[in-house]
Amino acid sequence: MGDAFAWLSDPLAHRFVARGLAMAFLLGVAGGLVGCVLLLRRIVLIADSFGHALLPGIGLAYLWLGPGHTGLYAGAAVAGLGTAVMSGLVNHLTRLPEDAAFGALFVICFAVGIALMSQVAAPIDLLHYLFGNILGVTGGDLWRVCATTCATVMVLCLCYRAILMEAFDAPFLRVSGGRNLLIHLGVLAAVVVNIVAALNAVGLVLSLGLFILPAATAYLWCERFGTMLLVAALYGGLASCLGLLASWHLDLPSGACMVAALGVGFVLSVLLSPRHGMLARLRPRRHFAHDEGGDECSSAGTDTRSKES
Amino acid sequence: MSGHLHHHNHLVLDDITICYRRRPAVHHLSCALPCGGLVGVVGPNGAGKSTLLHGILGWLPLTSGRIVWNGHDVPGRPGVVSWLGQRRSQDGGFPADVATVVATGRYARLGMLRGFQAEDHAAVTTAMQAMGVTALAQRPFAELSGGQQQRTLVARALASGAEVLLLDEPLTGLDEPSCRDLLKRLKEWAQGGRLAVAVIHDLAAVRTWCDHVLLMHRGLIACGPTAETLTPELVARCYGAESTHG
Repeated sequence: MGDAFAWLSDPLAHRFVARGLAMAFLLGVAGGLVGCVLLLRRIVLIADSFGHALLPGIGLAYLWLGPGHTGLYAGAAVAGLGTAVMSGLVNHLTRLPEDAAFGALFVICFAVGIALMSQVAAPIDLLHYLFGNILGVTGGDLWRVCATTCATVMVLCLCYRAILMEAFDAPFLRVSGGRNLLIHLGVLAAVVVNIVAALNAVGLVLSLGLFILPAATAYLWCERFGTMLLVAALYGGLASCLGLLASWHLDLPSGACMVAALGVGFVLSVLLSPRHGMLARLRPRRHFAHDEGGDECSSAGTDTRSKES
Repeated sequence: MSGHLHHHNHLVLDDITICYRRRPAVHHLSCALPCGGLVGVVGPNGAGKSTLLHGILGWLPLTSGRIVWNGHDVPGRPGVVSWLGQRRSQDGGFPADVATVVATGRYARLGMLRGFQAEDHAAVTTAMQAMGVTALAQRPFAELSGGQQQRTLVARALASGAEVLLLDEPLTGLDEPSCRDLLKRLKEWAQGGRLAVAVIHDLAAVRTWCDHVLLMHRGLIACGPTAETLTPELVARCYGAESTHG
């Protein structure tokens, strides 16, 4: 018990580790929340596209504004939001579906980004933005992440109903007078802002893990949207911290350990989730001879279950 | 046409033309659908039935004419009309129980932050009772049968408080008893002074359950009480029009 406590608390004696842990928690919470929306809208890989699409923004900002972090963040955010708007236009004005529009744009952006990076920065800088270093973040970085996480939580609370409706049945939101495009662009903006916030800490490549893993893990356990958000946020925050602590003790790369820790829970959930895991699916099924739902209509007994039978 | 139709208690389609992909899919169609019943929209594939519903919803602009309910133009006025689309626009794996899905029908009225009031709870309860899903309230939507999911989605539309409900092929994928049950419940709901308009391909079901029928093939073929309108001659004209209109 004492050893476990020491394992958890000893690293906190170092200020930069404490700062890194706070950052890991905040990034995990925001990533989990945004990831839930992406997962339910089936556009998780768009977050990955965004990660790559930010690169030319970073390159151009480095070229024009120098190596200052604020300029680089601004460049990344502009590139990400520009890609979101462009892909939206391509999707709406051509016959290309959304994922193809994103895929095409992100690979172009990534290629341009690599070309720019080769001109403006040493290779080590490129690696830094691809993989990040959460133990090297400054107090300013922490405040920035704190602000983006708080903004993410606030927007999600305010737009909870519209986001739920849009993710479940977008045409019905439209019938109800909702603004689907605004919600869609808002979600994409939240992805961009959170990837930019995570840039220094875990980098472009691994930031996808902060979105997808907590959300996918929660999805395997939860039957309600609200619960899923809560579980994803908490799991994202706590598992990221545990991963960071493991990286400190084992002397391994921090971003990779955070994502790997998130991955452990995901793999266990894939196997063991009592309703949606692999083992549950392999167990013999109950036989529903009659509809147990107590359906009020006379035809209930003839309804066949789409998943359970 | 405009001067002859009473706007009260009818959904009036007055000389409407609606284009889909730049071509008129509904062409100068005029009729009045009386409230208090279930109206079946019948026509061959490509007759413009879904386009008509989209025009009523305001999703496609009217190139000509007006759509009026109780003296007010319908398109672009949320709250008057609700809708159930062809199946699969919903995410089948979405983590929500039946009660939550039905409650989302109230969200448009409540806005972002206003909590559920007694009238909202009552609307949800009434809608669930009308569609026979009260006992399923806590069940995950994803685990319901096709018929139960469909009734849950109709309950959501009813909970919105809309007076006109548009259903685009609501019977697709349902077995015969589920179809019968859904149409019976829709008819009962509409009899309270509301209007349910459903695109239905099964002519036997239309004959049995619909009070009125709208036969169309881009333009109007016939509109009126089912017994008088769904005659073999008019049906043949409606479906035969396919060959002449392409």
